[in-house]
Order: sequence, then structure tokens, then C-alpha cells
Amino acid sequence: MLDFFQSLSDGVLFGSTYALIGIGFTLVFGVMHKLNLSYAAASVGGAYCGLLVLQVFAGAPPVVVFFCAFLAGGLLGWLVYLTCFHFIPISNPLATLMATVGMLLLIDEIIVHLTAGMPVGYPAMFDDVMLRMGEFTVRGDLLMVFAVSMLCMGGLLALLYKTRLGLATRAVSQQTVAALLCGIRVGQVNAMTFVITGLLGGIAGAMIGASVGTLSPLLTTPLTTKGLIVTVIGGLGSVPGAIIAGLLVGGFENVLQQYRGVTERDLYVMLLLFVFLVFRPGGLFAPKGGRD
Amino acid sequence: MALLELKAVSRHFGGVRAVDGLDLSVEQGQVFGLLGPNGSGKRTTVNLVSGLFPLSSGSVTFQGNSLDGLATHLRLQTGIARTFQNIRLFGQLSVWQNLWVAQNSPQDRARHGFFARWLGGQSGAREEILPLLEFSGLAHKQDELASNLSFGEQRRLELARAMATRPKLLLLDEPAAGMNSEEVGQLRERILSLRGSGVTILLVEHVMELVMGVTDCIAVLNFGQKIAEGTPAEIQANPAVRKAYLGGETA
Repeated sequence: MLDFFQSLSDGVLFGSTYALIGIGFTLVFGVMHKLNLSYAAASVGGAYCGLLVLQVFAGAPPVVVFFCAFLAGGLLGWLVYLTCFHFIPISNPLATLMATVGMLLLIDEIIVHLTAGMPVGYPAMFDDVMLRMGEFTVRGDLLMVFAVSMLCMGGLLALLYKTRLGLATRAVSQQTVAALLCGIRVGQVNAMTFVITGLLGGIAGAMIGASVGTLSPLLTTPLTTKGLIVTVIGGLGSVPGAIIAGLLVGGFENVLQQYRGVTERDLYVMLLLFVFLVFRPGGLFAPKGGRD
Repeated sequence: MALLELKAVSRHFGGVRAVDGLDLSVEQGQVFGLLGPNGSGKRTTVNLVSGLFPLSSGSVTFQGNSLDGLATHLRLQTGIARTFQNIRLFGQLSVWQNLWVAQNSPQDRARHGFFARWLGGQSGAREEILPLLEFSGLAHKQDELASNLSFGEQRRLELARAMATRPKLLLLDEPAAGMNSEEVGQLRERILSLRGSGVTILLVEHVMELVMGVTDCIAVLNFGQKIAEGTPAEIQANPAVRKAYLGGETA
């Protein structure tokens, strides 16, 4: 029983990074009704960019690395918007989708090329801290990952629900034509959405690096899959859905890893997705209509 | 000089001439009615003026300036707003936020810096919006989600949203569709009160009771071309109009 709760809690804490990745997919989908498949790769790319600080200032504290990953993620998000969406006919759904697949492969290849395909170490914080409650433990670094992720989500929700930018973003996602006629520059709002999701992605990548201890190009594909699963389970376009689904998938996979082993766990995650697609295809929080 | 002037405006969709060489001129302060059977090009005309798609040929001038090639989101700045026949509200925003989006206009935003413009909060916005909410009879529902409003209330909110952009020209696309006669009466009062405040209105409508009661001038379209223009009384007496409406099938 203790094993169960131990792996559940570790999984839920790590699942906050899945939630961030899921938010990135779901927000772009909500606003533009497009999938940005390069998102998880760009997030890992952002995390790698954070490491560049260590090349310049050897011994820079981890928090500086994380912050640089955050900024680099935002920059990458903007570049993805420019290359895959801005100059590509938006009315052709396949064109932008294929462009993002191309971007996914490109980012992946650049990382493989620059690191010779080898995993690199990633700095962590509080990795020597261990909270104990009897036999039950909470890893300090995972707690930090969870706290940072939650902070970013809180910031995002405040941005979405308390500011003019958030208002414009939600208006565009609900009624693009009317938003245009209300004087909103839809292109600008779309670009901002990519920058914001990119920032979240950069921090998600950094948090994954911090909790695993290494970054490797092998991360991009499973992270893309997990992000999409989280998005579908949460409900396409729903930010709260992505948050809950991220924690759910994190906890679920870690419990199954405990009992069935690392090679089998993703099978069960796929099974969970299957169950959702059959019994609740709209996800946990399918956004209500409001768009024609 | 006319406020809105269409000269030889055409719009083709493939081989279909939805609007075909249309000349219109709407004077400042008028309520101008646009009539015609289904498919006669009324809505296409409204879409062309509001910039949802480009002209095939011809020109549209507003206050003496050409609108050709002006991006849709910038037309608001010149003073053009519209409503839709199939209501297009921001369903998951509250009533007052729907108006806030519209009021968050470029004129307003130009006064702020980048951060105030994007990251500014809601303070002060609600007070500015209140008069409009009262005008539309929605003040008591300002925190309701737009999608939870009744049909009539949604129509009122859409009109209020268009007004929140402070337009000089308001395009109303079948504002009375689906309304009962009491609601049509209220709408008529609102349109007349808007005209009284100096807003020019281009009204596309099938409800004759409304059109004949509020318009100063009416143009009738058929197959994308203007077949008649005149005062409501002249239009009612016009044989070509009767033929277009009653000739083939009863509309």
C-alpha cells in the first residue's frame, strides 16, 4: 500500500510537467484550432538552450539555467509561429500540420547533431532534500518541479482571466470573425499565444531535465505523445482539463511502472487514452460550443 | 457627400455573381434599408463593407476614403460596426466582457503602452460599459455568460457590442430574425434612438413591419443588382419590387 501511495505521489508531482506540455498543445488548439506538433520538441529545445548559460558562465546557479530555458522556449515558440503558421496558408489545415511535423524533426535533428546524441546532465535544485513522513518520502527536487509548474499555471490562468490579452485570446478562440470585427488583430493574438505556450514549454523542459537529471534527444517523441494524450484526456482546448489530465497521467503511469515495470507502463497509458476515447471522447472538460 | 458610397461593386463566387455592379449611397444620419429576396446579394454587400472578403471589382468609400484593401480589424477604427444574422457572441465570456472586448478598441489601446494595453486589468472598464448595458436592458445580467442568455437578449447584446465600438455606421444583418412582435417593437425604438444620436444605419431585414417603420430610404436588390430605390412608400408601390418578391414564388 505504501508503495502505491509513494509512486502515486511521485508520479503526480512529475505529472505537473505533462500538464504544462498539455497546456501548450491545448491553448494553441483552442485559439487557432490547429495542432502544433513541434511543441514538445521546442520545449526540450528550450531546456537545452538553458544549458548554454553554463557554457558562458560555468557554475551559474540552476535557477539561472531554468530562467534561460523559459526565455528560450518563448523565443522558439515565436519562431515556430513564424515558420509554421504565419507564412503558411492558414485555411489549409494540412499545410500547417505538416510544417509543425517538419519543425519537430528539425529541432530533434539539431539537438542530436549538437550533442552527438548523448544525454547531457541537467542541474537540479533541492535534490539533496528529502521530506520524510515515516516510510513515506517526498523528493525535494520533485516538489520544486511541482511548485514551479503550478506557479506557471497560476500565472497563465491569471493572464487568461484577468488581463486584456487573455480576454482577446479567449474572444479569438470563441468567435474569430467577431473578434476581428471588434478590432482585435487576430494574427498578433495568435503570435502571443505561441510565445506564451513557448515560455511554459521552456520551463516544462527545464523541469523535466531537473527531475530526471539528464536531457536526451530521446525525450521528444514520448513527450509529444504524452502531451497529446494529456490534451485529449483533458478535452481539446481546455486549460483546466490539461492540468488535471497531466497530473492524472503522471500518477497513473508511475503507479503502473511500480507494478508492471517501465517497459509496460506506456501500454497502460495508451489504454487509458483508449478508454477515454470510447467512453468520454470529449475529454474531462470538453469546452462547450461557441464557435461556428 | 455620402457617408458610404458603393460604386459598381461586384463580387463573384466562381461563376455566381452575388453582387453585380451595385451602386449605393448612404447619407449621414440615414436609416437605409436593403431589401431583396433570399440570395439577392444583401448579405454579401454587408460582408463586403465590413471587409470579410474582398471586392471582385468596383470601389467602396467611407467618409470619402477608399476602404479597398483595408484589413478587417482596422475597419472598426474608421467607424464601421456590424451585427450578424446568426448571432456571433463570445459565448463563454460574460455579458459585460463581451462589451469590454469591443470597447477595447484601437483608439483606446493607442493611449496605453504595450504592457498596459495587453496586461492591463479590468478596473474602470465596467463603469464605462454600464450605460450601454442599461440602453440594452441587460444591466441586471452583466455577469451572466453570453451563451446562457435568451435569444432576444443575445440579439440585444450583439447590438450593444457593435455600439461599444462607437460606430459612425452600423450594419445590421437581419436584427429582427426570430423575434416576436413585441421584441420587434423594442428593436424599432432602439434603432430610432440610435438614429437620434447620429448613427447611420444600413439595415438588411425581411420583417417589413420594421423596415417600413424605421427606414428613410430603401434599395431593393435582385440577383445582385439594384432594381429599385426610394422611400418606403415608393418601394411599396413599385411594380418591379412586387414582381421580384411575388413573381416566382411567394417569399
